[in-house]
Amino acid sequence: MIKAEHVFKDFGSTKVLKDVTLDINKGEVVVIIGPSGSGKSTFLRCINLLEQPTKGNVLIDDQDLVSLKQKQVTKVREKVGMVFQHFHLFPHKTVLDNLIYAPMKVKKLSKDEAVKRAEALLEKVGLLDKKNQYPNKLSGGQKQRVAIARALAMEPEYMLFDEPTSALDPEMVKEVLDVIQSLAESGMTMVIVTHEMGFAKQVANKVVFMDDGRILESNTPAAFFSNPKTDRAKDFLEKIL
Amino acid sequence: MEHVITGFKTIAPSIPYIINGIWVTLGIALGAAIIGFVLGILLSLCKIGKIKLLSGIARAYTSIFRGTPLIMQLALAYFAIPQLIGLNDVNPTTCAIVTFGLNSGAYMSEIIRSGINAVDKGQFEAASALGVGYWPMMRDIILPQAIKNILPAMMNEFITLTKDSAIVSTIAVTDMMRRSQIVSAEYYMYFPPMFVAFIMYYIVVLILTAVGGRIERRLSRSDQS
Ligand SMILES: Nc1ncnc2c1ncn2[C@@H]1O[C@H](COP(=O)(O)OP(=O)(O)O)[C@@H](O)[C@H]1O
Ligand SMILES: [Mg+2]
Repeated sequence: MIKAEHVFKDFGSTKVLKDVTLDINKGEVVVIIGPSGSGKSTFLRCINLLEQPTKGNVLIDDQDLVSLKQKQVTKVREKVGMVFQHFHLFPHKTVLDNLIYAPMKVKKLSKDEAVKRAEALLEKVGLLDKKNQYPNKLSGGQKQRVAIARALAMEPEYMLFDEPTSALDPEMVKEVLDVIQSLAESGMTMVIVTHEMGFAKQVANKVVFMDDGRILESNTPAAFFSNPKTDRAKDFLEKIL
Repeated sequence: MEHVITGFKTIAPSIPYIINGIWVTLGIALGAAIIGFVLGILLSLCKIGKIKLLSGIARAYTSIFRGTPLIMQLALAYFAIPQLIGLNDVNPTTCAIVTFGLNSGAYMSEIIRSGINAVDKGQFEAASALGVGYWPMMRDIILPQAIKNILPAMMNEFITLTKDSAIVSTIAVTDMMRRSQIVSAEYYMYFPPMFVAFIMYYIVVLILTAVGGRIERRLSRSDQS
């Protein structure tokens, strides 16, 4: 499981995370929502140490990330896949090469194994026919599905999604959400930052509402959406729905 | 006008000698570019790295090589330093290639550094998030993209090297410039040999520019983002 304990994060004098504590249990899907600038991305990035928390602890399977050496950090990151708003596919590599690169380089898989795994994943996200294309030839939705497959190719135990559909044209949102949903159904532990409230209701076991660097509410989707407790959450839901 | 034509006729047997000097010129430029490229990568990685000592050294290195005349560096390397350390027969061509390489490394490191900085930050993050370590990430993900961005600038650097290499004539390397001087002295006639070299430099630079343009167009066509 992932445990974030009293995480603080400052950028210079800007305090971005102010005492965030959250448990993510195995098999759980946690959706984080909240206004832009509230620290959602920063919190996700603290979970795989793309950002180093200023204070507090992040534990993954009881391993304290904050005190780890660089080499061990890399090791822990293998367990945590991340999908970004803007995909960040490697533009100079084909779709297939995007998927096999890290498994070969980091997990030392043989090329045959890596390709086999990659092709199975591409099949799953419906893009096997694109395996020899370069990313610039793909639509946004296709890019994001490749990015998800690339993360899954490392066989992570946890997946972090940072607004995976926010950069997509509306007609491509569904194809990506469908992939994430099927991943949820397969039992993957996930933390998803999204503004897709319908989707949140559907897949989340827990909805977390963040505002101004703090977690204001943490509840089941049914309870949160029908009965938000704080005014901030009520305001936010009114605006977004 | 007539005596100019006669002049060219007189030196005609030596024209191939002058023109073939371009291979010496290009050899020095290419050798220096290779040294400069490798050195430039190392220096740029030092500059963007977190180790203060290394980035300090890399910055000082760049500052010194960019802050002094190349011809001065060459004289220092060929005349002054060998005398200081008691080295006798320094090969002028080797000396020229190394000096130009060291000099070019300073310029290349700035070009490469700007290329690395221009790579989307997300590329670092995506690679890190996959558990890829610093060195493989740099080698396989960041540098290929950085270098693609800066190929035109590196081609310019190569053209500059080709032109600037004419100053190796001051340490008795028989490059094209030097050869035009030798032939001038031989016939006691300056215009025809120097004009041949002059035009030849220009033609070569035009060719290199055209090649650079082609590479650039090909890259922008296959632009992948
Ligand atoms: N690297 C950074 N340097 C300085 N400020 C940052 C940095 N990253 C994020 N911030 C600031 O932190 C705040 C929260 O950002 P973020 O976590 O991206 O919020 P969200 O994802 O909820 O929109 C914003 O005000 C943003 O400007
Ligand atoms: Mg964000």
